[in-house]
Amino acid sequence: MSAPWTIEMLARNGEVLHRHRAGALPIRIGRAYDNDVILDDEYAAPHHAVIEPGLDPDGTPVLRDLGTRNGVVLKRKRVQQVAMHGDAVVRLGHTSLRLRPSDYPVPSELRDRTMHGWEGLLPGAVGVLLAGLVALLVTWLLDAQPFQLLNYVLAPAAGIGVGLLWSGLWAFLNRLFGRYTRLGRHLFIFGCGMAALVGFRLLAALLAYAFSWEWLTRYGSHAAVATIAGIIYFHLATITPPLRRRLRMLCAGAAVLASCLVLIVNQQRHGRVADELYMDVLLPPQLRASPDATVADYMGTVEAMRKELDGEREEEQK
Amino acid sequence: MKRIAAALLLSCFAASAGTAPPADGTAQGSRTATRAAPAAAPAPPPQLPLDAAPGATPPAPAPGETDVQDALPPPSSAAQDLYSSARGDLLQIRMLLKNGRTQSTVGSGFLVGDGNLVVTNYHVVSQMALDPDVYTAEFVDTDGNSGPVELMAVDVLHDLAVVRVNRTGSGFFKVPEQPLRLKQGQRLYSLGNPLDLGFAISEGAYNGVVTRSFYDQLMFGGPINSGMSGGPSVTDNGTVAGVNVSKRRDGESVSFLVPVRYAQELLRRVAEQPDPPQDFNPLIAEQLLVHQRAMVDRLLEDPLSIKSMGPYLVPVRESGQLRCWGSSNVKAATAYTSDSMSCAMESAIYVSSQQQTGHVSMTHQYIRSDNLHPLPFSALAGRLFGSGRLANSANERMSKPVCTEGFVHTRTLPLRAVTCVRAYRKFEGLYNFTLLTASTDAAESSLQSRLDVSGVSYENGMRVTRAYLGSFGRIVKRQQAPAAAAATTTAAGGKR
Repeated sequence: MSAPWTIEMLARNGEVLHRHRAGALPIRIGRAYDNDVILDDEYAAPHHAVIEPGLDPDGTPVLRDLGTRNGVVLKRKRVQQVAMHGDAVVRLGHTSLRLRPSDYPVPSELRDRTMHGWEGLLPGAVGVLLAGLVALLVTWLLDAQPFQLLNYVLAPAAGIGVGLLWSGLWAFLNRLFGRYTRLGRHLFIFGCGMAALVGFRLLAALLAYAFSWEWLTRYGSHAAVATIAGIIYFHLATITPPLRRRLRMLCAGAAVLASCLVLIVNQQRHGRVADELYMDVLLPPQLRASPDATVADYMGTVEAMRKELDGEREEEQK
Repeated sequence: MKRIAAALLLSCFAASAGTAPPADGTAQGSRTATRAAPAAAPAPPPQLPLDAAPGATPPAPAPGETDVQDALPPPSSAAQDLYSSARGDLLQIRMLLKNGRTQSTVGSGFLVGDGNLVVTNYHVVSQMALDPDVYTAEFVDTDGNSGPVELMAVDVLHDLAVVRVNRTGSGFFKVPEQPLRLKQGQRLYSLGNPLDLGFAISEGAYNGVVTRSFYDQLMFGGPINSGMSGGPSVTDNGTVAGVNVSKRRDGESVSFLVPVRYAQELLRRVAEQPDPPQDFNPLIAEQLLVHQRAMVDRLLEDPLSIKSMGPYLVPVRESGQLRCWGSSNVKAATAYTSDSMSCAMESAIYVSSQQQTGHVSMTHQYIRSDNLHPLPFSALAGRLFGSGRLANSANERMSKPVCTEGFVHTRTLPLRAVTCVRAYRKFEGLYNFTLLTASTDAAESSLQSRLDVSGVSYENGMRVTRAYLGSFGRIVKRQQAPAAAAATTTAAGGKR
């Protein structure tokens, strides 16, 4: 335990708001101007506390209450004096603080995985481009009217606008809780997310049509839920990289919850947990890969439904 | 012309006010009917507001609501005589909710001969037949006396019912032992209690037998209104010719009667049975099964006829009962053209205000585009094929749909086929089948078809589905096709 001492004022979440360096003990703390550390806190007394050298062998300093109204609180308990080893956080009025000696051990640095080349303009531009292209593709696919240029100008504009709005919101949160806005990164995440959403939908349709894998589109909404959870995870992880593991759990949990909700809504809406009663994807015939059934085979599957129907009916009668 | 026939709906006019909003009451029927020609589906004609709201619930409509066109023509002296001698045997039948005894629907009925049996329509008493623990019934005579009603027998297919009351008739209404012979133009008098306004008589001419509906009905050229259902239509000496049943909503004084011979059969059945049945649901299911057997047999007695739509060959059935209509969007502002054809039965069996059954309809839509890229075109075809077409899955009388889907190859055409089946909850062994198909042979054209068969047994549903599905085809291009085409043109030229 050695001088100089550092007094750290903490926010409620443990983040350091201010640091104050003091060369030697005692350190007087309070609102008055003759203190060593001046508190901007109307709940703190003019002379609230003093930190003095401790009496115990290793010399831990002791913070002593100077007879104030609100006192000194350690772990929710009002105390008269506290031994200020490096991790003891005391509250004076509304101010939380701790005292650290200059030889307090700090952990080694985190490995920097941030791609600094992919910050700012470049990923932002890619994100905007992706959002615009995805909007253009969707418009083209869904267009059954005679060609109108306006549609193909409006659609990417709308896509980019939504992207900017969404990413702007995340950038704002990033500035609020992190240090930088990182708008480019958020735009990139949005663009990639949209591309993944639409890309998966198209891929699922293609595979389902080619190989008669109807379950792919029938439960497609769960892939969409997972993608959206992924997008949100990447946004959150951009804001607070150290909490990645916790965020991953959180987003996975939210995705599972949303998937369950989808299943319940489907069950309510048409009595099946699947998204749709049947697959409505139609694609050009060149994309069919597996062989077609004969009418007789098909009628066999129709016949097989009877058991299920009658079973359900009997269950209802009970 | 199309417009007139598109409103195929024979509106059942027991005032079905209480249970369901009027639109709902006939919604099922109008849906099946309008499916026949969706483009031409007309709104109910505005000059017939009382039919659109068949409710007899509001006892006295506000002065503005009564429409001059609905006033009955003044009766002739024959009608006056007839009414004064018939009024003792004419009854109003009211369906009542057991809780609170409020009326839910009203209709008419008549005492047969000097017995205690009353003939009315099935759709007047359907609630009591289906849910006897919720509904009960009473009769009210022309003097305002009322009494309980006991349901004896129903005939769902011809829409008839026989009930028993605790009084006897004067013998005025004679149900002849032998089928009655009527001449076209012969005067008939229709009696009943229209719209719960009071007992009334209206006269009109007998206009022959209508074969458009599955079972024969008589066409009557006089006004019949909601609430007159179940009332008798008699000749001038009191011989019953038919029972009032329905009218065309889009027509003027085009009404329909159930021929008296079906009432005779039902009365005979009542005479044979010792006690009234406890539960009518199985009996109704039995009758519906008989109907579907006859319907499917008649539908499939010949192979379905094949029509061509573009390069496709599609199955249809056009007969007295199944009428086909076509439409096209050729001039519309779309990047594709669409031709559609639909054939539907013009009549359905009334089970309840929410459920009509015993119906067949088939539609085909052929879309193609020259300037759409195959991918947007497939997306369009997929949207048309989409599951929005099987909406209305919430129906307490039907189970939830169970579907099977697959890629099927008929002899000449690959198809995507989806069959959805729903079971009737109350009627064992009856199902609704829906088959949706979309051709998968070409990137720039698509044939999408739909078959709906309601109220059939599983075997018959499969039979119709198989026959329909198996008939799809594609015109196979042959090498000598140009020569054949040339030959036909010369032949045509020769004729000219």
